[in-house]
Amino acid sequence: MNKTDATDTPAAACSCGAAAGCGISRRDMMGQLVKAGAGALALVAVAGYAEDAPPSVAAKAQPASKGKQKYRYGMVVDTRRCVGCRACVVACKAENKTPPGVFNNVLLDDPEQGSKVDKPLFMTRPCFHCENPPCVPACPAKATYKRESDGLVVVDYDRCIGVLDCIPACPYGARTEDQGLNFPAVAEKTPYAQVPSPEYNQFRLREGAKATKGKVRKCTFCLHLQDADGRYDKAAGRWPACAKTCTGHAIHFGDFNDPASEVSALLKTGKAIRLKEQLKTEPNVYYLV
Amino acid sequence: MYIFDHTVGRRKFIKDVGVAAAATAAGLGATVYAKDDESKKTPVETIPELAVDAEGKKHWGREAGEWIPSCCNMCGGQSGILVHVVDGVAEKIEPNHWNPNNYSNISSDFFDGYTEAYGCKEGGSICPKGNAGIMQLYDPDRIKKPLKRTNSDRSPGADPKWEEISWDKALDEIAANMKLLRDAGEAQKLLWMSEDHSFTHVQGDFCTLYGTPNYVMHSNLCDVARKASFKTVMGDDRPLADFLQTNYILLFGWNPTSAIKWVHLPRIITRAVEKGAKLVVVDPYLSDTAAKAGEWLSIRPATDGALAIAMGHVIVRDKLYDKAFVENWTVGFKEYAEYVKDKTPAWAEKITSIPADTIERLAKEVAAAKAACIDVWSGPGQHSNGVQGGRAIAMLAALVNGYERPGTMVIPDKKGNKHGHCDPDETAAKTGKLPVFDERAKYPLGHSSGVYTQMFENLAEGKGPYTPKMMMCVFQNPMMSVPGSATVAKAMSKLETLVVIDTMMSETAKLADYVLPGTTYLERYDLNTHWVTWGCMALRQPVVKPLFGQLAEYEVVAALGRRLELKDHEGRKFFEVGPLSGTPIDELKAWYEDYLSNEVKHGAPGMTLDELKKLPGAVWVDKKGTKYEKYKAELAEDKLKTAWFDGEDPKAEGTGIYDKPKDKGGKRIGTVIGGKPVRGFFTKSGKIEFFAKSLADKKDAQGRPVAALPEYTPRDWMPSAEYPFYLINWKEASHTHTRTQNNAWLLEIKPDNPLIMNPEAAKRLMVSTGDEVWVESPHGKVKGKVKVSKRIHPEVVGLQHGFGHTAMGKTAAGRGTSDAVLRPTKSDPLSGQALHKETCVRISKV
Repeated sequence: MNKTDATDTPAAACSCGAAAGCGISRRDMMGQLVKAGAGALALVAVAGYAEDAPPSVAAKAQPASKGKQKYRYGMVVDTRRCVGCRACVVACKAENKTPPGVFNNVLLDDPEQGSKVDKPLFMTRPCFHCENPPCVPACPAKATYKRESDGLVVVDYDRCIGVLDCIPACPYGARTEDQGLNFPAVAEKTPYAQVPSPEYNQFRLREGAKATKGKVRKCTFCLHLQDADGRYDKAAGRWPACAKTCTGHAIHFGDFNDPASEVSALLKTGKAIRLKEQLKTEPNVYYLV
Repeated sequence: MYIFDHTVGRRKFIKDVGVAAAATAAGLGATVYAKDDESKKTPVETIPELAVDAEGKKHWGREAGEWIPSCCNMCGGQSGILVHVVDGVAEKIEPNHWNPNNYSNISSDFFDGYTEAYGCKEGGSICPKGNAGIMQLYDPDRIKKPLKRTNSDRSPGADPKWEEISWDKALDEIAANMKLLRDAGEAQKLLWMSEDHSFTHVQGDFCTLYGTPNYVMHSNLCDVARKASFKTVMGDDRPLADFLQTNYILLFGWNPTSAIKWVHLPRIITRAVEKGAKLVVVDPYLSDTAAKAGEWLSIRPATDGALAIAMGHVIVRDKLYDKAFVENWTVGFKEYAEYVKDKTPAWAEKITSIPADTIERLAKEVAAAKAACIDVWSGPGQHSNGVQGGRAIAMLAALVNGYERPGTMVIPDKKGNKHGHCDPDETAAKTGKLPVFDERAKYPLGHSSGVYTQMFENLAEGKGPYTPKMMMCVFQNPMMSVPGSATVAKAMSKLETLVVIDTMMSETAKLADYVLPGTTYLERYDLNTHWVTWGCMALRQPVVKPLFGQLAEYEVVAALGRRLELKDHEGRKFFEVGPLSGTPIDELKAWYEDYLSNEVKHGAPGMTLDELKKLPGAVWVDKKGTKYEKYKAELAEDKLKTAWFDGEDPKAEGTGIYDKPKDKGGKRIGTVIGGKPVRGFFTKSGKIEFFAKSLADKKDAQGRPVAALPEYTPRDWMPSAEYPFYLINWKEASHTHTRTQNNAWLLEIKPDNPLIMNPEAAKRLMVSTGDEVWVESPHGKVKGKVKVSKRIHPEVVGLQHGFGHTAMGKTAAGRGTSDAVLRPTKSDPLSGQALHKETCVRISKV
């Protein structure tokens, strides 16, 4: 008989399904996320986050007090609640109208380290909107940058010239190239073909002057759903599409600058970890394991 | 955004005034850092903020257009949805927070923090399929016009040589074919098959009034084995697990967090685990649900019954069962105890491949749990011994008082819409009473949905009580969904006329004489009584007009009924007169709205269709909520006044109580227990039955005696030297049955279905991940792509069901592997459940 337990053998590469690969090799993930390994890492996290807020968050909160950064949006993803259904992936496609092969988020399901039965560990992976995003300096056109107002890493399609150096620069594989492909419903001009992507409130169609072919695509935390003051509103449905549909209610979204937010409270549980801490990217997406 | 405003009794929108223009005023521009700036702290240049298309936002943003509440039908789960429609285009689907189905199956959880304005506290969910409904609607490969076959060769693969015809011509010709049959007194020779959630009542009425007894539905491909198991043991055919409040979850062959079924399941199961419940999954495959479990038991297929019996052995041996419950509310315990006496864990280990000490431990754990959900679905169910295995599992739940308490298996209150009664005229009554073609009476625990496999087998082989001539096949693709595609193709070739209504050119549609373009759920109506534990019914409504101007399926039914001038026994032209208004209604859609209004008005909601539309989320939720231990409740005085007692002495212990005489279609409402008329359980005895006397004198469809105890017998087809592997299949969140494999978004998350194989087997066969193999049974041979994984039992290979289309659409065709071609067209001999999992195969490298 087989029974899940935890002793192990890691294996090969990522199986996230993203055309470009998620950029997180099994080794990276397993080293950091999986129960046994994550145990150690979580301990580090606990030590680091023993106070009210994680040091990185506390440090970065300073600009806000200077009146510039109002919000620090991020996520706490509870992998224990994630059932691997990929509703988040499809909801993102539905919201942002991303074309074939473009994944603003992916679902990772690599086997847990130590599992004798290849038991998968499910986790969704959006853009981490890092405090120190390596994608930003990789862009020669200054098309990708971190917004001061809310910490979101965005792409200005009007400046993006398709160099795509940002794609390998992201250690998490959060960026994909828009190769100009279209789903049949768009390519064959059904009524749906007239629906533009709401990304960045720019309402771009797949064809014409505003088309994003050849440019880089990434998760925006659905910033087009923010109100005039840059706020989201869950009750009103103005909330990232992935978090809104999540069947296990695993994706917690909110403002780390707001100590009363759900995400801030979850961080204080001390069990949240981030991927590839050693790179000092300081992701704004945390995982509970 | 959609919120419900009771002051105006309708939806309203919260407007973000000036959102578009101001959106990035908050953005405050951006700072770009020099590429080689190590510190990344010093801004070197400020660049302009992102451009905003205010016009685009005004036109397409969330505040534009309408958010229309409805229900999903990407699968049978029927989640509530909100659809954003702009300029007549459905652009996005989101969860409907007013619909319990999206959130929880018990009322205390749903109502906790519920507000009329926003619905349930945390907000509901929809699954990947629900999110991908847009691609189902706007699939360019959809059938757009009625088609007529001009090629007389109807073999699979033959070009039908379609001719586009008008709707009038199609309906005239189909009706004329039907009329010929009916006029010849052969109405029974029309077979009508449909999906089981959509516009079934109106199709049933058509068949009644036309005069065919052969209306069959999807259920017998799904879970009628489970239904038979629970029904015979505890009197309800679909108890629901109250996962949220449980301490222990033991699932046999069910994958609820991935197969999903109802989208509240991932939430309530993970929440239960979070609160400390133990989740144990018994399955030959480490399903995505097993991935969330504390323990996975990799069992040999079709042996779940033996495991449950051995657990029962431990619980009886050590007297761990709930003695008061067993004594007061069950019958046949003595016989059961006697039967399990020698069914030790060691006995079960040999059968199941699960170690005896594990069985011992699990039995003790489950008996010690304060409340346990012990459930079984189609894993064990779709084998030839599935019903008895399911009964053993249902009895395990009974031993630990696992019914009707919080955190156990709860009998749902199925209050919802009410199917109006219609009586046929004399002509129809005559043929309508003839035996059904699928011989379901041979199946002692058969279901009203019929027996597809027997129907196709009879048709193919010229067996059965008569020779059908015509079939209406609505929203069904038996060529892919019924085990044994070759038999189905042969059966279809025997028909004089095959009419298929579908949105896609399915493998079955390609065999048809007429194909009518169907509607997706976003283009039509339905009423959905939801599978939560208390009364709940929601509306599906057209959010866009049918894209190609096609008639919705119920309109086709009504249009045919009008052409045939079908009347009820009072001579009323049924499909012309609104059942609620009682007046003729010319427009087909308006007629059907009246038909539905009648069902809502006379059902539990007691309101009209228009009133239902105005409820928050267009869903009626019974405020009374979930009730537990209903079996103890005494029958109300008013019910007793009109009740009918099944016996001479209405006070005699065990007398069944019905709402009207049994021969007039009376429904069981209770039993005399302890001298009192109580609800009890709706079994023969009114109690949970470990020993079903009613089965003891019955024969199964193969003429074998039926065991009154849940006896374990191996399934009919076991692996052999020639066909050494069990072949199983399963569902995953990414696709529904055989109907979503042309959906572009779903193919993004699951493009095909590799054959999962254990490393031990792969090593023996010298194959590795990515290799192509032949999968072969005596019934067929298909190619598969191997994925080696320790997630599967070494003796088993398996795959996600539904791929391997040869038709359907440009994207679906040629993708993945169909398992239907490998299977015999067989059902379990008790319930008529199609055997999707009972096949053995051999595997060789291509």
